Amino acid sequence: MTAASSKTVLSVQGLSYSIGAAQILVDVDFSAEEGGFVSVVGPNGAGKSTLLRCLMRLPERGRTRGRVEAAGRPLEQYSQKELARLISYVPQAGGWIPPFTVGEFVLLSRFPYATAVSSLAESDRRAAERALELTGLTALAKRPLKNLSGGERQKAFLAAALAQEAQVMLLDEPASFLDPRHAAELAGLLRALNREEGLTMIMVTHDLNHPLRAGGHALVLAEGRRRYFGPVEGLLEGSVLEEAFRHNFVRLDHPNGLGRVILPE
Amino acid sequence: MTPKLKLFILILASLIAAAACPFFGLSHISPESLTIPDHPDAEVFWRLRAPRAAAAFLAGAGLSMSGLIFQALFRNPLATPFTLGVSSGASLGASVYFWLGGIVLVRTGSLGPLASALAGAGLSMFLVWSVTRARGGFSTSVMLLAGVVINFFFSSLVLFVQYLSDSHDSLRIMHWLMGSLAGLETARLADLAFVVLFGGLIVSLMAKEIDLLTAGEELAASRGVQVKLLKLKIFLVASIMVGAVVSLSGPIGFVGLMAPHACRLMLGWSHRLLVPATFFAGGAFLTLCDLASRLVLAPAEVPIGIVTALLGGPFFLWILFRAGSDGDLF
Repeated sequence: MTAASSKTVLSVQGLSYSIGAAQILVDVDFSAEEGGFVSVVGPNGAGKSTLLRCLMRLPERGRTRGRVEAAGRPLEQYSQKELARLISYVPQAGGWIPPFTVGEFVLLSRFPYATAVSSLAESDRRAAERALELTGLTALAKRPLKNLSGGERQKAFLAAALAQEAQVMLLDEPASFLDPRHAAELAGLLRALNREEGLTMIMVTHDLNHPLRAGGHALVLAEGRRRYFGPVEGLLEGSVLEEAFRHNFVRLDHPNGLGRVILPE
Repeated sequence: MTPKLKLFILILASLIAAAACPFFGLSHISPESLTIPDHPDAEVFWRLRAPRAAAAFLAGAGLSMSGLIFQALFRNPLATPFTLGVSSGASLGASVYFWLGGIVLVRTGSLGPLASALAGAGLSMFLVWSVTRARGGFSTSVMLLAGVVINFFFSSLVLFVQYLSDSHDSLRIMHWLMGSLAGLETARLADLAFVVLFGGLIVSLMAKEIDLLTAGEELAASRGVQVKLLKLKIFLVASIMVGAVVSLSGPIGFVGLMAPHACRLMLGWSHRLLVPATFFAGGAFLTLCDLASRLVLAPAEVPIGIVTALLGGPFFLWILFRAGSDGDLF
């Protein structure tokens, strides 16, 4: 690894988050390098989504402790707009569907670059067009979000985050409502964005094989604590997943030579 | 037709409709008579009808813009100053003022009813907000139920205040509750113009943020919107506009429901277009309703609140049934 590619863009030290007496995250440490891919895995209720939300400073309630630095600067020193220019966020699918067309929705993501009186600049249109191109949605730009299929809609959310032109992208289970074909398509798209566009990705996923395909690092959480952080290959060894999920897994060689795969027993 | 062109046509049509209203009434006024010096019709036009049309326009603009804001804030098309109990809160405030004005002679000039209506509006919004919030999230049903409850409760309190008042104040309260633009002081018109225009300006500067808020609170925050601050700001602006209108004209229902809904059907969801659209469409709509209230039983006047309610009730049902078909209110 060269010195330039190992520049840390996000560093998290001792991050804890609690609501009342409930500890959601306890002393979580991890970091993401520029252009890196960090897959966050763990059982339901492990605090994975909360971790992403804390990185985006979204929780309105609760108490956050610890130190998070983005591009070498403490998170709390960022204005909300500055943060949005550095980090974008793809929320969990399946919630409220915004009443906009795909094109309108993607253009809304240019807000971090706007002032109250400014109208859309050429750079805004270009960013939106490119985001639609990258996700293959150009033809659907005029369709309302609620008329799209689940897979298309999830891509629209991804396109909107891309239009933000942020260096880091946080994704919360982007494939959770997708069928296998669309999930594989989305995963391929994310890997391409990571490798070709140099986007730093931090992605919560339930697909344990996705980290292996994407490479980079894996962060395993259970009960709000870090159980593992390191190269994804670490998931293949030891009992990290077994301890986190309290379930046994088998590791097999893929018959088509696609490397190792992890299957629940 | 592009949305911008549609907006332009809407504004033009609204202005023409509103400007035409003062020419009609118990006796119609011809435009020529305005050019003749000291013509009695000109006097009626400038002294009575024009200020009243202006008041109706401003009240309609304020109510429909606040409806638009509440709907974006709660992400619910049925959220209006009326359904959220803000109007009844403002009514309670104003009734208490009239009542106290009767016994202890509160002398606060024109700001008295305004301030007390504002206090009432603020109180009811705070209650609905807290109840909805306490149940977690912003559930449509909880919010509407909370609004209905607060509405009932405050309406009962208004009746109680009316019961306590002497007959003169009681009549004043009752007349005011029906919503009317008759007997309006020109000085108050300036207050209203200031609140509505200033509120409209603030809201249009926040149009992009309101768009993002419509897309979802967390999404808005992740795009750089200071969500808490934004919600507080637009909540205050909308409540102040409602308070100002209600203190002047009484609670006029359904304007905040119909105008924003019609504008969204026509223009889509960009608040950069919707804010000016609801301002002009709401203004023109209420000016026309006021004309109807003067004409229907002429020479008697039907309170304007009754006119809007007669139109608004069926409209409300239409939205509900229309929503039922695809299970989605927006």
